[in-house]
Amino acid sequence: MKKRTFRLTKLSIMVFALACSLVFVSGTSVMAAGAKEIKIGNLLPLSGPSASVGIQNQWAIELATEKINKAGGIKALGGAKLVNIFTDSKGDPNVGATAAEQLINTDKVVLISGAWNSAVTKPSTQVAERYGIPYVVPVSVNDAITERGFKYTFRLAAKDSWWARDQFRFLDDMKKATKTELKTIAFVYENGDWGSGMKEQWTKLAAQFGYQIVLDEPYPSTASDLTPVVMKIKAAKPDVLLLTSNAADAILLTNTMATYKVKAKAIIGTGGGHADPSFRQTTGKNCENMFDVVEWETDLNRPQIPALNQEFKALHKFDLAGESVDAFASVYVIADALERAKSTDPKKLRDALAATNLCVGKGKLGIDILSYDCVTFDQTGQNKNAGIVLVQFRDVNGTMERVTVWPVARKGIKPIFPMP
Amino acid sequence: MSRAPSRGPAPRDTIKSEVTLEAIIQAIINGSMTGAYYGLAALGLTLIFGVIKVINFAHGSLLMVGMFAAYWIIHLTGWHPYAVLFLVIPMLFVFGYALQGIVIKPVLEAQREVREPTEVIIVTTGVWYVLDNLALMLFGAEFRTVKTSITGQVFFLGDYFLPKPQVYGVVITILTSGLLLWFLKYTRMGKSIRAASLDRDTASLMGINQYRVYNIAFGIGAAIAGIVGCVLIPFYYVFPSVGVVFDVKCFIIVVLGGLGSIPGALIGGVIVGLIESIFPMFMTSTWTELIVYAVFMAVLFIRPAGLFGEKRDW
Repeated sequence: MKKRTFRLTKLSIMVFALACSLVFVSGTSVMAAGAKEIKIGNLLPLSGPSASVGIQNQWAIELATEKINKAGGIKALGGAKLVNIFTDSKGDPNVGATAAEQLINTDKVVLISGAWNSAVTKPSTQVAERYGIPYVVPVSVNDAITERGFKYTFRLAAKDSWWARDQFRFLDDMKKATKTELKTIAFVYENGDWGSGMKEQWTKLAAQFGYQIVLDEPYPSTASDLTPVVMKIKAAKPDVLLLTSNAADAILLTNTMATYKVKAKAIIGTGGGHADPSFRQTTGKNCENMFDVVEWETDLNRPQIPALNQEFKALHKFDLAGESVDAFASVYVIADALERAKSTDPKKLRDALAATNLCVGKGKLGIDILSYDCVTFDQTGQNKNAGIVLVQFRDVNGTMERVTVWPVARKGIKPIFPMP
Repeated sequence: MSRAPSRGPAPRDTIKSEVTLEAIIQAIINGSMTGAYYGLAALGLTLIFGVIKVINFAHGSLLMVGMFAAYWIIHLTGWHPYAVLFLVIPMLFVFGYALQGIVIKPVLEAQREVREPTEVIIVTTGVWYVLDNLALMLFGAEFRTVKTSITGQVFFLGDYFLPKPQVYGVVITILTSGLLLWFLKYTRMGKSIRAASLDRDTASLMGINQYRVYNIAFGIGAAIAGIVGCVLIPFYYVFPSVGVVFDVKCFIIVVLGGLGSIPGALIGGVIVGLIESIFPMFMTSTWTELIVYAVFMAVLFIRPAGLFGEKRDW
């Protein structure tokens, strides 16, 4: 008897939950009544360890959607409005894959966008591929995502390996622009997954760009003393020093190098520890003129950035970051594809996405704030032009700032190269 | 320090820069200086072990407290980093004294009949977590450095670099250990500490208040951690888990030199410092940690009590 009551309650809870969700779903459709609506599924880590960035991405997507809808929605589809459905992946691959199924089968979305964590993007794009639903990836940097021959996956962000590539491209540009001779190169990196991954890329690129490797030095990030590593750099006398460091070791290396007066024509970090705000504060003058790579910075030479950043900050008390900018731009890419497809048919939408050619200066706000000029996808669905920017640590009115110097710097700003 | 002959882009295995005599001498200089502050950091640990027979897992945290104390005083007052010693030493002494008296003593008393008071080790681990997380709550996780008048300054000995903060660190290490040895050998309190470390029950029978001795020994250990903090702060960063960086190193040094031995801690520190400094010239620095542990194990095989340890049953 007791058991039956329990079952009944369980059933009633389920019915209640179902009723609630029905009310919720119908509520949204009532709100969008009048014009047609296009449902887009957004898979993001809204709880768990990556929640902070996931939520910032959600804000960026909401803001971009609002702007597009206000401007008349998708005109080719009778002014249809974009409606976002946000699903929490918790940063968990299993949850992500199930959520993708749900978005496709239950919510009947025409397109999925997500999923920030590469580990979630991998299985969820697989689900979308199986159903033939287009999947736009604003940020997830793992190389393999667009290297599996998928037809329905499109990525805006740069691949992991492009960070290394752009470090070399920058050096090449500087070599030509300043007629500096750069022959020898040294790799110093933390001995974990990330550092040794970068080292593999660097080794290939060094051969390709004609550098002689004079030092290849992995070190433990937890080392209490990095003087021995600094002594090796000093002995190797490289023209170029490439670093991949976490925060503590980046600080220790930079300060120790300053003590021992170890210099190179170019010292370039790979984000991580060098991008940590405490790196600038703790090293101060010692990091002056060092370079670092990053996907985006607020000081890029794009006139629309300040106003948009202010609007975003007023709403959410956060500056726009590289990843939220990619998310913001992705909504414009999706809207543009819908305009050209003139349909929500997944196949047609996929073909329209593949033919994307969106460039700066055509009145699309989401594109006008990117660090590169055009969004176009290659055969694999990878945005060909997605770029990395190089920043230089500069003394701006007494504080160390990250100043964008490459590929597009603000007016009047030139990289100081070689480092004095 | 000449460059490797140019052969075009070389695969990883053929990268070899010549190791010159100057480079080796510089490495020996660096290694001994680093070893000195390693030894100083281990000194407090070995003292506490020698007396209380307890491995103090919170030693790294005491070091962190010392570094934060030095950091804040210098940051707020702008004093010379070594003038701060006069404030940090008494502060840390009182802190260590109180920590032993309030937190560790009750457990020691409860374990009076036990030959090896393992629970105390657990308590010190608890203290470690509490202190680290308190610092995290109070100061946040970011890294901090303070620019002092000697930060980044260098003495030159011919072509060799002798960074001033490290040179002063060696001087302070020698002074501290000299004073400590004198204190233990010639003062009444020092004699009580040695008596209690030899046999606490007999010492108690002779009228020595063993818990007071413990409090003072712990206080001195903490004060030495404070000194290390002042030595490190001109050239190192501080953050809530900075102690972890030194913890394992200190344990190795103490066991290598002989548990409870003061010269052992110093020599052990210099040995580890030299290994970490010289071996990276012949291999990548990732491998030197392995060498440190290999030497550590070899020493334990040959002299299980450590280099300076006395063979006795604790």
